[in-house]
Amino acid sequence: MAVEILKEKSRASVPEVTIGATKEQGGTRTHTITVGGDAALPFHHFEGEIKHRPVVALEVNDIVPEWNENLLKYYRDVVDNPGQWAKKCVEEYGADLVYLKLDGAHPDNGNKSPEECVAVVKDVLASVGVPLIVVGCDDEEKDNEVLVAVAEATSGENLLFGNAEQTNYKSLTAACMVHKHNIIARSPLDINICKQLNILISEMNLPLNRIVIDPTIGGLGYGIEYAYSILERARLGALQGDKMLSMPIIATVGYESWRTKEANLSTEENPSWGDAEERGILWETTCATALLQSGVNILLMRHPKSVQLVKKHIDQLMVPNDY
Amino acid sequence: MSKFAVTFFPENITVEVEEGVSIKQAAALAGIELKSTCGEVGTCGRCAVKVIGGDIKNLGGNLSSRLRNSGHVLACRTFPESDIKVEIPAESRLDEHQVLVSTSREKGILVERELDLLEGYDFDPICRSVYLELPPPTITENASDLTRLTAELRKHLEHKEIRIPLSVLRNLAVTLREADWKVSVTLACFNGSAHIVSIEAGDTTSDQYGLAVDIGTTTVVAYLLNLKTGSVVGKAGTYNKQARFGDDVISRMIYANEPNGLEDLHKAVIGTVNELIDKLVKEHKIKSSNIQTVMSAGNSVMAHLFLGLTPKYIRLDPYIPTAADLPPVTARDLGLAINPEAWVFSFSALASYVGGDIVSGVLCTRMSEADEMTLFIDIGTNGEMVLGNRDFLVTCACSAGPAFEGGGITFGMRAMKGAIERLSIDPETYEVSVETVANGKPVGICGSGLIDCIAKLRDVGLIDRTGQFQPVSSDRLRQNEEGPEFVLVWGKDTGVGKDIVITEADIKNLIRSKGAVYAGIRSLLQMVSMDMEAIDKILIAGGFGNYLNLSDAISIGLLPDLPVEKYEFVGNTSVKGAQLALLSRQAYQDAVEIGRKMTYIELSVGTTFMDEFVSALFLPHTDLSLFPSVPA
Repeated sequence: MAVEILKEKSRASVPEVTIGATKEQGGTRTHTITVGGDAALPFHHFEGEIKHRPVVALEVNDIVPEWNENLLKYYRDVVDNPGQWAKKCVEEYGADLVYLKLDGAHPDNGNKSPEECVAVVKDVLASVGVPLIVVGCDDEEKDNEVLVAVAEATSGENLLFGNAEQTNYKSLTAACMVHKHNIIARSPLDINICKQLNILISEMNLPLNRIVIDPTIGGLGYGIEYAYSILERARLGALQGDKMLSMPIIATVGYESWRTKEANLSTEENPSWGDAEERGILWETTCATALLQSGVNILLMRHPKSVQLVKKHIDQLMVPNDY
Repeated sequence: MSKFAVTFFPENITVEVEEGVSIKQAAALAGIELKSTCGEVGTCGRCAVKVIGGDIKNLGGNLSSRLRNSGHVLACRTFPESDIKVEIPAESRLDEHQVLVSTSREKGILVERELDLLEGYDFDPICRSVYLELPPPTITENASDLTRLTAELRKHLEHKEIRIPLSVLRNLAVTLREADWKVSVTLACFNGSAHIVSIEAGDTTSDQYGLAVDIGTTTVVAYLLNLKTGSVVGKAGTYNKQARFGDDVISRMIYANEPNGLEDLHKAVIGTVNELIDKLVKEHKIKSSNIQTVMSAGNSVMAHLFLGLTPKYIRLDPYIPTAADLPPVTARDLGLAINPEAWVFSFSALASYVGGDIVSGVLCTRMSEADEMTLFIDIGTNGEMVLGNRDFLVTCACSAGPAFEGGGITFGMRAMKGAIERLSIDPETYEVSVETVANGKPVGICGSGLIDCIAKLRDVGLIDRTGQFQPVSSDRLRQNEEGPEFVLVWGKDTGVGKDIVITEADIKNLIRSKGAVYAGIRSLLQMVSMDMEAIDKILIAGGFGNYLNLSDAISIGLLPDLPVEKYEFVGNTSVKGAQLALLSRQAYQDAVEIGRKMTYIELSVGTTFMDEFVSALFLPHTDLSLFPSVPA
């Protein structure tokens, strides 16, 4: 007797967010990336369409980051040139998107002017054809200057800008409205604040299909279970029709994984844990694959080998399981 | 002069008025504002109402034939001549969003409520005074003075055992003789015995008083009652002097552990009550020694500190109070400035964080006898709520903070003269107009004014849904050292000589308070798997002020978005319940029963409350579908 598979149809789906604009669309990208559109729980192809595969963004920084050598060595030759760094990420390491972090704007990290930041972003745009995610330096005041300037200078490119937070969302939302970009709404691991921020942003009249949410995650061993349950709740809410929780999700996997003790302790310091680099790669990969199951649409990553593993994993997950 | 009861529908609010008071004036006493532009001379025809029962005197006036033919009259030109019932059509209301569910304090409605209070109970005060004329002793009738007294007393009492304190006994011989054997004996009857507390010469039974006290974390309120008539002679309220040791019960409990901490706290609350006693005694020209009993209601921590019991173990797992059924003690032991032999009673507490004040509230609202599913919410520093009816009662407590009582808010205050209780903000110019209690010069903002303030700031877009100020051009919106603030009244127009402002921190404070209350309601309902819609009636208690503007309270998400008809504002039920218990021994007994019947739900167990709390930290709520009547 054939097994009958219980199927749950969702009432609603995740809105599609398109990042980037081609020449015809008023930008300079060679192609655009669309995320979201999920009409079922992650990879439940038998219950609804998983319209777009999850994508991987690789992180590029405008200053030399203090990364572990096992990671930094892959970027050593380009680390002081964001344009070349981005190019390497896309051409050699297979990044779908570039996640450009403007840490150099921070008053403690060189205090780059908005004009200097605009130049960096333009340089990266010129070097790669993929759409960009541009994120500030985590200093509220400075971000409001820098990101607004960058949004203006890249008007028409339809980039993804971050981060809007509950205490500081107005400037960035307004800039994204005027210059037609998308926004990352970041909330501190709290489903209610996640939803509140979406309401606040959408009440400024930014359409819901221009918002990507970052509900914040904990890395493997550092609260990933909690993060998972928050992301899963958001996605369940989305599929049940809660518009204010329905957006595609971005998860900062690379950032969280590479600050764990386990990803950084050298082989010599604890030989029983095995080879340090391999350990770091697996840490990031495990974190990413686990969170894919909670509904993440954009993975921010750092190590090229993790990216390889995760992309292979996504390929397999995207094969329809026809019941 | 005759008095008539006027009941207004659909609110079903009754006020008692004297002959010659118009229906329109009666409506104002009931908190219902009727339209009128002619100065109540019967020419504008706007205050039409329909009398549906009782006799009236109608002086006529300008009223459209449509309304006249359908039985309407002008409220300003119509006077009750018996108890009447009046229906108010929506078109005659000044503003249906300003329907005041009830007024309290010095306004008409209170008379009615006090009559209600004893309904179903006999007037049988726990402490009463009996006038005796004793046969003087002779060489053959030679029983002792005390035997003579008790023999006569027994004719008036059902109690076999009569106790007398030493201090009264010492003066007995002299008092009896100086009074020519005509004395008034005041006794407290409890636990099957009668306890003499004072003996005075002559008939002074009309001059004996009792005190009903609500000991709140932030405010203390006392009612002075005449023990013979049961009437309220005076009322007084003030801030709890314990406030300087911490704003909420937790910080008080922590302070109680410091050296002398418990003593400081005990003395502070006794000092607060004594201050109220002093005020009442002076104002009503009575002798403090004629206050013969006290009934107190307060949360468990307040009750412990009032008696000087350590609250230490209430705070520590597994949260055990020293006593839940608190025994009567004497005023001497507590240091209250009344007759030292007077007995002081406390309402029983239910759980460590649900105290006698809530039992008192349930008692005086009769919700434990009701068929309707009732939600009772006492919005104080410790927000407490009870859900149920005659079949069951569940209760919980959440820390709402002192904001609605004016605590922790820059210009917060109790609802006293000059407190802003209503305000409006012009959506274009952001100019503010305010109404104050007793029309005094503005000196601060009371709870109802604060609710109004948040609602209006949000209405005109001055704050976003999280309570952050939005950049607008108005010189009223400015930066201080701690952040943005908005000027409600300029210094020159106030009674304090400086600008009255509301700061962003104040607003966040209020949002936390309202969030805690709403989260408590939702959590309680979840615990019993019940929908908001299943509630038939909501009773709101608390010391906000004269008004509770319901539509504002709903629009900021303090109270559930349910039809206005379901709500009733019952004021300070803690002190009213204490008043009832003083006047009826049966009521005092019933309070103990109510306490036993309630099931306490601990909100700190599990994650429900925290989750609900964070989702309620938004105007009105993260789940906007819970507030369908609030415009986006």
